[in-house]
Amino acid sequence: MKRFDCLKLIAAEAKDALVVSSAGATTLEWNALRPSDGNFRVRTLGLCSSIALGMALGLPHRRIVALDGDGSLLMNLCSLPTIARMRPNNLLHVVFDNEVYEASGSKKTATASCTDLFAIARAAGIEKARWANSVEEFAQAVSAALKGEGPYFMGAKITTDRTEVPPYPMDEVENKYRFVRHVEKTENIEIFKSGLPASYA
Amino acid sequence: MTEEEAARTIWDGLKTAGINLVATLPDVNLAELLRAVEEDRDVVHVPLCREEEGIGVCAGAYLVGKKCAAIMQNGGFFNSNNAIVSTLLQYQIPLLLLIYYAGDVGDRTFSTSGAMTEPVLQALGIRYYVMRQPKDAAELIKRAQILAEDSKRPVALLLTKEVLGRRAALGASHPE
Repeated sequence: MKRFDCLKLIAAEAKDALVVSSAGATTLEWNALRPSDGNFRVRTLGLCSSIALGMALGLPHRRIVALDGDGSLLMNLCSLPTIARMRPNNLLHVVFDNEVYEASGSKKTATASCTDLFAIARAAGIEKARWANSVEEFAQAVSAALKGEGPYFMGAKITTDRTEVPPYPMDEVENKYRFVRHVEKTENIEIFKSGLPASYA
Repeated sequence: MTEEEAARTIWDGLKTAGINLVATLPDVNLAELLRAVEEDRDVVHVPLCREEEGIGVCAGAYLVGKKCAAIMQNGGFFNSNNAIVSTLLQYQIPLLLLIYYAGDVGDRTFSTSGAMTEPVLQALGIRYYVMRQPKDAAELIKRAQILAEDSKRPVALLLTKEVLGRRAALGASHPE
């Protein structure tokens, strides 16, 4: 199974979902498939699911998708019990398991030898956990997860090949401003206030 | 001021500052403050397994409009450093950090953690204030939140036993 094919399926169903992605090829491929200011790239390894959880709790009526990797999730496994405990029904946490630290020289992760992220998610208390063994199963699970009540966890073993896509088009601060302005516009709320007294204007 | 009153004062200060999402990890000295957090149904409370994930949760919530605070021990602050650097500072995201100052002068435990707390905050360029007077707590929290929002950086408030009502506060002439 290729990550790019799985991402295409998510892009077809994601609509206005806010999407948080782990840095590296996942972010680049996703951004090529669904260019949007509603995409947020994560730079801290491990934090993808936690940032998505914060968004899901802050905007409970909006779909939030986390595009995570095995290396990233392994660094922040405690995110799973916290998600299970908080039960955000608008969160879909997707893990692409290629068994390597792809962005860091492709050394093997623990899932290459013995670790089962699906079993960990279940044991952490995430009832709606799925593991897809084919593109068809992945498509079915995505479709259900983007319509139903979560939190959902879904994963798939993927190959290590990358699709040629352009580099990420902006730095972190621009990503932040664009993302927040997108949320302000689509939710009709004000997040950034200048805070300056009128006399400064 | 009793521990319960001190906790109430701090919590009221956070509410007045507009905080509406709080991520926490317990310390025995924070017990009363965390009880006040848990009892408040108007605020989203995220109990954490490790403090670093809380930095992520607060960053994500901020990006969709929440005003957040993270409450932890200084050991948890040390745990959170990569996330503070590569998420909060890198993206210019504000966050109020309420850090229990274990190993403060007069403590019997964690003197090494106490010794490293302020130097690490200084190294990260995080502005911080040591809270000693319970009566000043609410106003200091309000000002710290303004600073965090305006600078778009984390700001730390170090919670001592005095401000948590667990030890008598010294007079104003006490050299800080």
